[in-house]
Amino acid sequence: MSASTPQTVLMASGARRSRTSHALVQNVGLVLVIGLLAACIIGYCVLFVVTQHRFPGGFELTSTLDNTMPLAFAALAQTLVVLTRGIDLSVGGVIDLTNAVAAQTLTGGPVATTLWTLAILLIGAACGLVNGVLVAVGRLQPILVTLATLSIYQGIAIRVLPQPGGAIPPGFTAVLANPNWPTSLLYIPVIGGLWAIFRRTRLGVAVFAIGNDAMAASSHGISVKRTVILAYTLGGLASACAGLFLAANATAGDATTGDTYTLTSIVAAVLGGVSLFGGRGSGLGALFGAFVTVMVVNILFFAHIDPLYQTFYEGLFLLAAVVSANMIGRAVRGRR
Amino acid sequence: MSGSAPGTILHRAIFNKEGRRIVYAFVAGIILFAIGEAVRPGFASLDGIRSILVVASFVGLVAAGQTFVILIGGIDLSVPWVLNAGAILMVVSSLGTNDRAIPALALTLGMGALVGACNGAGIALLGIPAVVMTLAMNGIMQGLTLGLSGGMTCTSCGAYAPPVVQAAVHLRALGVPVVLWIWLVVIIAVSFLLGMTRFGRATYTVGNNARASHLAGVNVAVVTIVLYALSGFFSAMAGIMLVGFGGQAALGMGEPYLFQSIAAVVIGGVYILGGRGHYLGSVAGAISLTVLVSVLLAFNMPDYGRSIIYGLVILALLLLYGREEDSA
Repeated sequence: MSASTPQTVLMASGARRSRTSHALVQNVGLVLVIGLLAACIIGYCVLFVVTQHRFPGGFELTSTLDNTMPLAFAALAQTLVVLTRGIDLSVGGVIDLTNAVAAQTLTGGPVATTLWTLAILLIGAACGLVNGVLVAVGRLQPILVTLATLSIYQGIAIRVLPQPGGAIPPGFTAVLANPNWPTSLLYIPVIGGLWAIFRRTRLGVAVFAIGNDAMAASSHGISVKRTVILAYTLGGLASACAGLFLAANATAGDATTGDTYTLTSIVAAVLGGVSLFGGRGSGLGALFGAFVTVMVVNILFFAHIDPLYQTFYEGLFLLAAVVSANMIGRAVRGRR
Repeated sequence: MSGSAPGTILHRAIFNKEGRRIVYAFVAGIILFAIGEAVRPGFASLDGIRSILVVASFVGLVAAGQTFVILIGGIDLSVPWVLNAGAILMVVSSLGTNDRAIPALALTLGMGALVGACNGAGIALLGIPAVVMTLAMNGIMQGLTLGLSGGMTCTSCGAYAPPVVQAAVHLRALGVPVVLWIWLVVIIAVSFLLGMTRFGRATYTVGNNARASHLAGVNVAVVTIVLYALSGFFSAMAGIMLVGFGGQAALGMGEPYLFQSIAAVVIGGVYILGGRGHYLGSVAGAISLTVLVSVLLAFNMPDYGRSIIYGLVILALLLLYGREEDSA
């Protein structure tokens, strides 16, 4: 579909284009989302000062970050899959399931909590593995597989935790989503660093390669099946992180709390410059996209928009962002 | 896509891979009916079949629109709130009276078609991916519906559907509920449109290769916009039927129809990337899915079990006949 296969980009960047302009073209989505986030933060601060007559402080920072972390992980999960030219509708189901398991099991001391946390991460990875195997080995369309597994994971989640409840230990919350101190400021650079490493691993390169052209990647010796399975598995792991952060933030569990994340993770990834046609985008962009999504909700709140109209403005914002990103992207790429 | 004399249709149904999928989906429905009858005698009685088909018709109507857009490789995620907006607009504009029923019907169906056309325009003219466009539209319609109805607190929001509309779902003509006759008309009309008209051919060619059909003189943008408008139209229509069925509108009544309509279309053998499939398959898919849910209810299956088995059955059907060619 897109005219910028790796070959054409390579040719275009040959003699005529400088390194910086090449980097800009490659990361135009990331640059745009950072600009968007900056605009959102400025808009938020202005509105906050106007309505509250003071600057946003530590509390606002902490609560915004804590609210964003689950979506950031969900968006990361979505990005890993979308990069392989797939889509993961089961993100919400995996969050439901891991959140429910967390509520049922995270009740003991630090050792038990740590072990169960690892087990929950494995559960998420296993869910992703099932998706990946069905897509790669079962040769089924990703959207259909994850539609079916969404239903399955949601069902298991409700079986595990029929009523919302559970008591997440304060220690667990203090580590992941400390209400008094922005712990998330530590996690964001870690995610960024991990993404930078992932991007340079064999797997990371393979994910981008099959997203651009699976046949070409396969003829260059990349195992498409293995890559797809690993991408979905890592996606499941990231969704499990989202479920855990959500549990820490709410200090309880709810087997339907993740449902909305299926669609908002797509929104965040798209805002972050991840192309739904695969092969283009970055986890960092998705992370910023998640922040933009949360900031827009905050802005609507402080702009005294009737909450009933909230999704109306979110929808308009998403369309405006995608259309203008398309136009800017085309303009930047068009300067050959 | 050859000429469609009745003989070739039969020929296709038996020997063609696509036709076989439609047959499989119908057979799955019949087997499920038999299982239901075995578990709870009377399940497959005339009354039982009638009531299941009425429920299936709601999914089937939404699936008509979903079939149109999936045939060109798109998808319509705006179904839930277009349907919901249609249901509420129907009761609010008719205020439960028969005199206002016809303008209210026109207004509601027009609203659905217009929203759908906006989806199509965004996709075809602005180049927005279908997932993003229809997802955003779903949010826009949700916000508008909630906001304009004040969260269903407006005085006319509690109005009942006009008696004619309720009668259309509950009354019978020749022993069959009127809504099923309506569905039959839709089935014939949609099959005719897709199978025997220029527009139908254009739909399949766009689904197979949009660029080639553009070069061959097909106006891809117009086809896309019309197909999404039809999808919005059928979502609104399902909303009208649902208020007729339940009497009143409610918030969130459209939510289950998104995944059910996609599942019905896929079970019926319509290729999710476009270009292949028939509405008859989606009809079979809608019926099989509804029978499945009813059978699980007959087993007294709790909610979570239904959710799990629902997913497993879709996976099983996909593995049976939804697999891609091995390219890697």
